Amino acid sequence: MITSTLRTFILTLLTCGLLVACNNPETIINMSDTSYSLLNTDSTAVSFPDDYKGNITVISFIYTHCPDVCPVITANMKNIQSQLEDTTGIQFVEISFDPERDTPSVLANYKSNFKLNEQFTLLTGTQANVDSLLGKMNILAEKSRIDSVQQDSNQYFMKHSNTIYVMDKQGRIKFEYMGSAVPPEYVAEDINKLR
Amino acid sequence: MISKKILLITATALFFFGCSSQSDQTETKKTVILGKMELSNGWARPGSKGQNSAAYMRIANGTASNDTLLNIQSSAAEKAELHESYQDENNITGMRPAGQQVIAESEKLYLQPGGLHIMLMNLQRNLAVRDTLSISLEFARVGTKNVNIPIKLRSTSN
Repeated sequence: MITSTLRTFILTLLTCGLLVACNNPETIINMSDTSYSLLNTDSTAVSFPDDYKGNITVISFIYTHCPDVCPVITANMKNIQSQLEDTTGIQFVEISFDPERDTPSVLANYKSNFKLNEQFTLLTGTQANVDSLLGKMNILAEKSRIDSVQQDSNQYFMKHSNTIYVMDKQGRIKFEYMGSAVPPEYVAEDINKLR
Repeated sequence: MISKKILLITATALFFFGCSSQSDQTETKKTVILGKMELSNGWARPGSKGQNSAAYMRIANGTASNDTLLNIQSSAAEKAELHESYQDENNITGMRPAGQQVIAESEKLYLQPGGLHIMLMNLQRNLAVRDTLSISLEFARVGTKNVNIPIKLRSTSN
């Protein structure tokens, strides 16, 4: 009888532990102890990630001269938004890794062209601040030249990480995906685990 | 007198040779091509003047011969080229020129997001959703094909 009760108790503990582990995934990057000064599309200052704490934030990385993959990542961000039954407390952030060309007004045009609503924030900043942030977030972005279009120093493309992150309310990166390819329902499911 | 005759004969011979050569070129251009090169499902992404965009479509070579896509032009962009997006094992993505693509007889070439696409560089005007864009594709055998495509956010939207 005692053995049976003990067995049930241990089983219950294990089940609870498993459930807690599933709903509290390990931190991939802890952003809660750092802060980066960036600019919104209207040139207002944004402190990242401080200004997003208290929200679950879906984060991607783009540059606006990218004609193919970055719009796919942006489209996937919109698809994730559409997959959520309730978007309350969810923010969508796209950070440019090409601050040299992606000024706030250029990002504003991109936001308008791709019809991103007010839940989306597009951020840029000084090269130093953006580089520092990318380093912290393990995002690679480097210029690549293509001979046929290399006519002046302003014409370049970029090799870059193809990543979407989900950050919890405390500023900890909890989930990482391939930005252009992850099924949006997978991300929506993970977001709901953090609510 | 003899030299005048020689000159006349030479000139006449050159005239006929010239005509013959011109006729051959015309004949080449008039070669009958069975079937047709079909461009369909075309669309392009929105973009602002001075930025880049990408165009996508399906190219179906319905002729009885292989053909090669040589050049692409659009009045909406300073330059248009066939490019290819790629992804490496470290989740790094990039883009590179795809060169001249041969499309085998009865085969299709798919230009689609994340793969082969027409790179429209330095847009000469804003491309907004519901605008249209004119693109010319020059093939080695069938010549130049023009197509008007819509600006859309994705292939399945309006």
